Amino acid sequence: MRLPQQPNERIDRARPIRFFFGGRPVEGFEGDTIGSALFASGRRVFSRSFKYHRRRGLLCCSGACPNCMMQVDGDPNVRVCVEPVREGAQVHAQNVLGSLERDLLAAVDHFGGPFTPVGFYYRTMIRPRGMWPVYEKFLRNIAGLGRLDKHAGRSRRFDTEHRRAEVLVIGGGRAGREAARSAAAEGRQVVLVDERGVPGANGDFEVLAPARAIGIYEGGLVPVDAGSVLYRFRAERIVVATGALEQPLVFPGNDLVGVYLPEAARRLVDEWSLKPGERAVIVSADDRGLAVADQLQRAGTSVVESIDLRSAPPRQLAARGRRGRLTSVVVDGREVQCDMLVASGGRQPAYSLLAQAGARIEYNAGRGIFVPSDLPANVEAVGSVAGELAPAAVPAASFNGADEAGRCFVCVCEDVTEKDMKRAIAEGFDSIELAKRYTTVTMGPCQGRLCHVPAIRLFAREQETDEATIGTTTARPPWAPVSLGLLAGRGHEPTKRTSIHHRHEEAGATMMWTGLWRRAHSYEHAGNEALNVHRALGVIDVSTLGKLLVQGPDAARFLELLYPNRFGDMKVGRIRYGVLGTDAGRIMDDGTIARLGDEQYYVTTTSTGADTVIEWFEWWNAIWRLDVETVNLTGSLAAVNVAGPRSRQLLGRLADVDTSNDGISYLDAKETLVAGVPCLILRIGFVGELGYELHFASPYGEYMWDTLLEYGADLGIRPFGLEPQRILRLEKMHILIGQDTDSESNVLEAGMPWIAKLDKDDFVGKWALEHVQERGFREQLVGFEMTDGVVPAEGGQIVLGGRSAGRVTSARLSPQLGRAIGMAWVRPELAQEDTEIEIRVNGGVASARVRLKPFFDPEGAQLRS
Amino acid sequence: MTELAFLSPDRARTEDLFAPRFASPLARVLAGTTAVRDLSQLGKIEVRADVDAIDVDAEVVRITSRRALVLCPYEQCAELRARLPGMVIDMTGALGGLELEGERAMRRLTDLDLEALPAAGKVAEVSALVLRDGERFRIFFPQEFAHYVGEVVLDVLEGIE
Repeated sequence: MRLPQQPNERIDRARPIRFFFGGRPVEGFEGDTIGSALFASGRRVFSRSFKYHRRRGLLCCSGACPNCMMQVDGDPNVRVCVEPVREGAQVHAQNVLGSLERDLLAAVDHFGGPFTPVGFYYRTMIRPRGMWPVYEKFLRNIAGLGRLDKHAGRSRRFDTEHRRAEVLVIGGGRAGREAARSAAAEGRQVVLVDERGVPGANGDFEVLAPARAIGIYEGGLVPVDAGSVLYRFRAERIVVATGALEQPLVFPGNDLVGVYLPEAARRLVDEWSLKPGERAVIVSADDRGLAVADQLQRAGTSVVESIDLRSAPPRQLAARGRRGRLTSVVVDGREVQCDMLVASGGRQPAYSLLAQAGARIEYNAGRGIFVPSDLPANVEAVGSVAGELAPAAVPAASFNGADEAGRCFVCVCEDVTEKDMKRAIAEGFDSIELAKRYTTVTMGPCQGRLCHVPAIRLFAREQETDEATIGTTTARPPWAPVSLGLLAGRGHEPTKRTSIHHRHEEAGATMMWTGLWRRAHSYEHAGNEALNVHRALGVIDVSTLGKLLVQGPDAARFLELLYPNRFGDMKVGRIRYGVLGTDAGRIMDDGTIARLGDEQYYVTTTSTGADTVIEWFEWWNAIWRLDVETVNLTGSLAAVNVAGPRSRQLLGRLADVDTSNDGISYLDAKETLVAGVPCLILRIGFVGELGYELHFASPYGEYMWDTLLEYGADLGIRPFGLEPQRILRLEKMHILIGQDTDSESNVLEAGMPWIAKLDKDDFVGKWALEHVQERGFREQLVGFEMTDGVVPAEGGQIVLGGRSAGRVTSARLSPQLGRAIGMAWVRPELAQEDTEIEIRVNGGVASARVRLKPFFDPEGAQLRS
Repeated sequence: MTELAFLSPDRARTEDLFAPRFASPLARVLAGTTAVRDLSQLGKIEVRADVDAIDVDAEVVRITSRRALVLCPYEQCAELRARLPGMVIDMTGALGGLELEGERAMRRLTDLDLEALPAAGKVAEVSALVLRDGERFRIFFPQEFAHYVGEVVLDVLEGIE
């Protein structure tokens, strides 16, 4: 039933809207919220409480408390008191077993009290430890908020938008509007954000509503929740006009259905033309609460008693009810029959955003409120949030009489009672921050809006001190609950693809991640692909390799200083393997360095190392100030490795160069046209066979790939992926950085002493390698060959006499060799050719023999062929 | 020193047997859309020299006082490479590029100040260079991210429609 039209009503009675609650149709009007429409339909119980499953009804009608949270169109925890009605919406109760009226879990309220004191789950469900998953499941089922629809997926779209504003005003009340108008009049670009709407805005400034600022971060970053869009505002000046929050009183039965804050009563009558009750009692600390009597009388509600806490504060106050609904109020032992109680402890500045921004929060004992001060330079507070509030009484911490039964809630979100708080203090949680974590007071959906000050007040009373001494808890974003989808935004993940990527997908390759790169793991069978490289011809996309140009008069000196080996003595057109070390001598990256000119080097790095290496280069040159330029060419160039005994034959068909050893020998670099495309050919052999690495402009990736496959078809060419490449390189005992090395590895112990030219004047990490040489080796990287063919797990332990003596870094079955092979770090005494070692495999131990030379083609004849 | 011919896509030669095909990294993702223009084949040449000394008939985007990106028609690359001062690196193949219209879309792609362009920063979480001409924006980014950036741009545009 609606009242006759009210002067300020928001509903449009000519525009009915139908939605469903629990599957049954409910009629509301345009301008209604789901909560007001349900109230109009006669509903008074809107939720069950978090822990005790007590009936809860509308309390604030402002989107602050948890009492009206429901599931709306699959979204849990929607505060229906502020959620506009929409046609066809499906609304359901949440956190109930049964219905709102008959919730079987309410047994916790009736019988569980003695067994469920504050923090009971810390004490009663800790043993046996293995049972915790069962306890957790049980607790989550009986206590909690709404449930996420696991099958919903990304059913709603959430976007993130970056905005800038010269002035951002948060809050569209009187003070906020005036601040916005004033700034706009000065010619500033103003955006005003408000949770509801801004009456009277005339276009002087931009209004964003309904939207809610959920925090203030460094640099003037203010995220604003606008439902489906998260605006990330960067504001030069932030004006906070978040107003003040009505505070509930703490007394037994203060959560009964029928107990309201004044604003709820006002909105029910004024905005939605609803009669909130028949007989009302008002208890208020300020005029604003007492003034609700006008609205109630206009609605036909009898105000049977009105108590001004400033002049006649009762010592005891209690609400009594039946089946969770208010039936009477007891004031100092005198019972007054009523079905509505408007109770207000005055208003508290909503300072959380200011506190997040760095403001100091001080307690004003005379007024009983916390007030922000010392605001950051670019932040301003206007209106009630700054403490501009009408005089009000400072209410008692609680009005609980010793003889009154019934729970006395400090926090309705988490069902924390006065008794819980006292118990926490008695147990030693005597700081408000500790008690907050133990009791979870202020940690519920209202985020302290309604319980922060009452909790501090109660704490001060119990500690026999004052609120200023207790202080506030830390204000952290988000200031209001925000959906995870909104924070996550769109589900895009930066991904690198080579210019040949789509050819691999079209060929049916299994793709895998290496860093941000997508690479082909294999196309059909990794072992067969590896065999094909040995026996015929393979081609692999190695565009992911880092590629750097180092150029300038000091290029040679620069590389000599960075790498442990020499590059100044290289002839133009030659290639050398290099291992980059840190200043602590640890292996950082590896690759090849080709000298393209006297002052020009082309450096390759590992696929995931390019960015780190170029930063390393630039960092050192910022110190050395050598005359050298470094350029990251990784994306500029595609690269493919054509490998196998028939690779020369294929290149001979395509390249404008003599591909014999006379024309391009092992470790030569040569620029030429290949199939019409300018290429840098590097004759190197990571996979152990005769091979040519072609580097060329990325846009020709697909063309080159297609051409190689077309002209190599009769030679048996097949693409091979990363996995067969790993088998092939292991056969040659070529290390993989990050796989066979870790942050402690150095070139000496990794079996590459020939890399470190300790007779050079200096290079990065030289002193550390000298130290390693002096102290002797602690472990060494070696190859091993399993004697029984089983492949150990990478990371598996090498054991000696039952104790750990090393670890496996790589292991594969080599189809070419017909044996299981691998690499491992072992104690130096084990690093001898043919030493027998034991490796833990599948809970047992398998034997293997140490190998110090490559398993395949140890003399490198194939590479040089 | 070599001219690093293998960096320059325009140096590919059509011969008797071979006809190299330039493929944009955005070709697949932008196929069928008209809302976004593919700029990947635009000539892009990085110059490391005194930027004030660059005097060519092409768009010069200043990155630092000693570094600039010169944008030109693909066919003009060879001429500019020869004329530009200092260290000249052909980045045509290195950078993907696209052009789109609408400030709202850009606000969803980047936190760069759109009133202070050109600027370098993150676009769709990827390092990029952004240029503005009225309501039209040109974005250049590493070509290996091109398909991903294209997907994000189209998704953003779809969200705005």
